[in-house]
Amino acid sequence: MEKAVQRWIVDISKWNPTPHDFYSALSLLPLHEHSSITSSFMKQEDRKRALISRLLQYALVHKVLGTPHVEITIKRTLEGKPYLEHDKAPQEFPNFNFNVSHHGDYVAIASEPLCLVGLDIVSYSISQIETTQEFIQDFSSYFSSLEWDNIINAGTDDNILNAFYRYWSLKEAYVKAIGSGLAFGLDKVEFHHTNWTNIYVQIDGVTMTEWRFWLFELGKRHWVSLARGHPRLATESYKRRLKQTEFNEEEYGMGLHLPNTSFGSRTVGQLISVLCSAKEMPKENE
Amino acid sequence: MASVTGASITMTPLSGSFKANSSRVSGLNSVSLSAHAICFPSLKMRPGPYRFQVSCAAKPETVEKVCQIVKKQLALPDDSAVSGESKFAALGADSLDTVEIVMGLEEEFGISVEEESAQTIATVQDAADLIEKLIEKKDG
Repeated sequence: MEKAVQRWIVDISKWNPTPHDFYSALSLLPLHEHSSITSSFMKQEDRKRALISRLLQYALVHKVLGTPHVEITIKRTLEGKPYLEHDKAPQEFPNFNFNVSHHGDYVAIASEPLCLVGLDIVSYSISQIETTQEFIQDFSSYFSSLEWDNIINAGTDDNILNAFYRYWSLKEAYVKAIGSGLAFGLDKVEFHHTNWTNIYVQIDGVTMTEWRFWLFELGKRHWVSLARGHPRLATESYKRRLKQTEFNEEEYGMGLHLPNTSFGSRTVGQLISVLCSAKEMPKENE
Repeated sequence: MASVTGASITMTPLSGSFKANSSRVSGLNSVSLSAHAICFPSLKMRPGPYRFQVSCAAKPETVEKVCQIVKKQLALPDDSAVSGESKFAALGADSLDTVEIVMGLEEEFGISVEEESAQTIATVQDAADLIEKLIEKKDG
């Protein structure tokens, strides 16, 4: 099962494609992905992130499952969560699923064989336009009073923003794992930690022992949060895409306690190689 | 939430949840991959006093104001092509931006948007429609 636990990250500032390079990479993806990358996004940087995000998804699926390129179909639920259609994962991966996040200089992907996975990259800089207090005040209803106290009492503006963004990314990771949109009632999703390790969540005061969370620093003032948890909490539209949502305790325990590998860097060049070789596999008929 | 497109109203019940404007389903599916998109929860048709309201598309001035607020929040140049059809995620809005945009709209129009409704907003048009509905409710 460990093989399906993947954590890849790309530093997009290192890839500066010419239009030719961009379209050449784009051509490695199925046609239905093209327009959503090229015509949806206003800023070129967003288009770049979107492209790399898809490259990551297809490359990872191919790497982990060995699926020939032409057989990989990735769709999105109504809420926008990507999932693999016609899952060909072997039995040892009861619920292969993955999640992506992009922000600033990074795009990352994480996959799991059994538990749901969600991740969120955050980065921040201190605003020139408004004070830190003014900025965070807008979001106070998304935090529990305990979390809010921890944020506003964190010290300097930098510490406050740091705490704010870490809590926020943990909530996002959870929301993304279950396949929801920006869930309401996030003030009831309360995160506890010991100096940002041993992170666990209480929902409506109940500790969710079937969920684990991590925060990693990526450098360049970027952090990534990761959530791993029970498929039964997935939203309806995402649950439908999962192979299995009920597990006995032992089985689930195995999934929950798999090692959480750290994020491995990938370059866009490497992703392109993986996809090129995926395309060369037999059964291709583009 | 439904919008009237042309002369017909499109409604697609989806196992108890209501999804607006099914002709734009493909647009919904291409929402940003990260959770930085605002998404559609299931909107339940509630019985009793909450009659399902059909709202006409918002006035152009409202859409224009929304565009301005969005451009400001996302630091887009004044001449960027933001219109009713623009999806927030495609303009580069992340989850924090979305909350800020909704707050900006609340301030500008003197309305209060519940979290639940805020999740149904994917495009500028959606926001404008919701705003007018809320204004109507307030004044009516």
